[in-house]
Amino acid sequence: MRYNHFVLFFTIMNSPLSPLVYFRRNTSRALPMGLVIVLAVFLIAGVTVLANAIDLTVRTIYRYTEYFTYVLPQQRFREVPEAQRKIVESDPRIERTMEGAFFLCNIKTVMGRLPFVVLGVPEDDRDYLMQRMETPLIAGRLPAEGMPEAVLSEPMVENKKLKLGDNVVSPTEVGGMATAAPVPVKLVGILKGPVWVGFTSRSFCTSYFLLNPRCTLYTWKDVNQRDALNRAMMPVTDKSKGKLSPNEVQLLSKENLITEVRESLESLYLIMGVVTAAVIFAITLMSGMLANIYFTQRLSEFGVLAAIGYSRPSLIGRVLAETALLNVAGWIVGAASTALLMRFLGESVFRSRGLFLDPFDLDAYAHTIPVPICITLFSVVTIAYRLVKLDPVTIIERR
Amino acid sequence: MEVLSCEKIALAYRDGDRTTYALREVSLSLSPGKFYGIMGPSGSGKSSLMYLLSGLKRPTGGEVRLGTTTLSHLPDAELMRLRRTRFGFVFQQPFLLTYLTALENIVVAAPKPDTSARKKALELLESLGLATMAGKLPSQLSGGERQRVAVARALINEPEILFADEPTAALDQANGHKVIEALAAWRTQGTVIVVTHDAGMLSGADERIYLSDGNLSIHES
Repeated sequence: MRYNHFVLFFTIMNSPLSPLVYFRRNTSRALPMGLVIVLAVFLIAGVTVLANAIDLTVRTIYRYTEYFTYVLPQQRFREVPEAQRKIVESDPRIERTMEGAFFLCNIKTVMGRLPFVVLGVPEDDRDYLMQRMETPLIAGRLPAEGMPEAVLSEPMVENKKLKLGDNVVSPTEVGGMATAAPVPVKLVGILKGPVWVGFTSRSFCTSYFLLNPRCTLYTWKDVNQRDALNRAMMPVTDKSKGKLSPNEVQLLSKENLITEVRESLESLYLIMGVVTAAVIFAITLMSGMLANIYFTQRLSEFGVLAAIGYSRPSLIGRVLAETALLNVAGWIVGAASTALLMRFLGESVFRSRGLFLDPFDLDAYAHTIPVPICITLFSVVTIAYRLVKLDPVTIIERR
Repeated sequence: MEVLSCEKIALAYRDGDRTTYALREVSLSLSPGKFYGIMGPSGSGKSSLMYLLSGLKRPTGGEVRLGTTTLSHLPDAELMRLRRTRFGFVFQQPFLLTYLTALENIVVAAPKPDTSARKKALELLESLGLATMAGKLPSQLSGGERQRVAVARALINEPEILFADEPTAALDQANGHKVIEALAAWRTQGTVIVVTHDAGMLSGADERIYLSDGNLSIHES
């Protein structure tokens, strides 16, 4: 059975009327249409990859939320109230709670300079978190207790263009009060990436950053329970329905972060959706017209085939095969060239500017799937209509 | 025994309230193994008759019969199947597919474009004196060579009836005779019907059918 299918496929592809033969010998006709499809896919996928890069950047920078959650006191408190802390500690899904302090340093992102937490926790908690995030020390040493020293992970060091001994923050830090430090804080060690994280000693934070609030951190026993646990503590949508009081604390969890980012990008996604639909509509019309112009140029070919007995369905099938093949090939080339260019741009241009691209962003390529489908459908339906109406005698009578 | 016949067929075109007849009540009976020439002045309905006999057009009156099958009653799909399997066509222009070689243009009309079809197409090209032209594109062939390729395309499915509509009109005398010879040779295997306005081309025809203003008269050679 399989052999028969192979023989049939080979016979069709080897037939003089196969789409491959047509495209091989009519490259000048196939190329313009193919290029239109390639460009459409490139445009839509490229823009979507770039738009999704904002979301990806936030998820990359704040990836530590996959490993632990911050509980931060609301502004009127300097630390998480005791009662709230007890609620967290009493949940059986919690593996560990930690008391932390922090200072902020600037990181460069596509949205501008953003403050990023350098966490001060007791040594055993720090070692525990480093192990949990798989961020061992790869250069230098860990910060000494009470000293103005910090360790940062590789991507942060790369982002801030630092080397060991440089200042992580200083009194003259750009970015205002939030990221200014009373004393220069030296980089004494580098942690393995890719998680963005920085540590200092808790005692240093509590001695020098008197205005910064203290925080509580918690981790979970089972990663599959992470989101449920965070939701139980403080739901994303209706915060008052959680165990923790939104009047007293706020939660910096993964789900919370993603929801906030996506809500802020909602308008951008809406605009992109409209632009994508407009591009697909315009490209479909343009390609459909182009396909119809080429068909008009080939009327005598289809007319004579109809005259010598090729049925309408077989001729429509031929148009469908040619259009579909061209569209699939155009889509593959468009997607491949987008991935290549985005990879190049991501590495050479955007990464150093704090924007992370995923050149293989499936969501971006999914947005382009309607392109070949719409073009194929529109082209085939309009040409099929003309083929059904085609009278071969009018073709062969042209003298 | 007749292979193809028609009974009082007519082809009329309506133009508003006016009806114009291309053919009016034409009856004809064609035997197998004969070479028929249909002649007549321009606009006499020769081509229309060929279109009706071959199922390319449906008559507005009367019936066309292929053996015991009435063509007028067949659905479009069945008519196409008949044209593909039992008829062969040569038109005034060769209508070769410009991007296919001479050999491939012939294979296009074969029931299956397989190796045996290619072998047969090569044999046909050889018999028509075009063996060396198999791999050439139509643009590399002369007018006469193109038309002979069109003849080979019409013959590859071994048609019971071979229709040719003004096959020599675009050719010079010498090439025209070569094409007619190739068509006439098919009478040993089927019926040949050639429409032409050039009486000189039908010297070898078994019967000549004259059409004038849509009316018909038959002369045996």
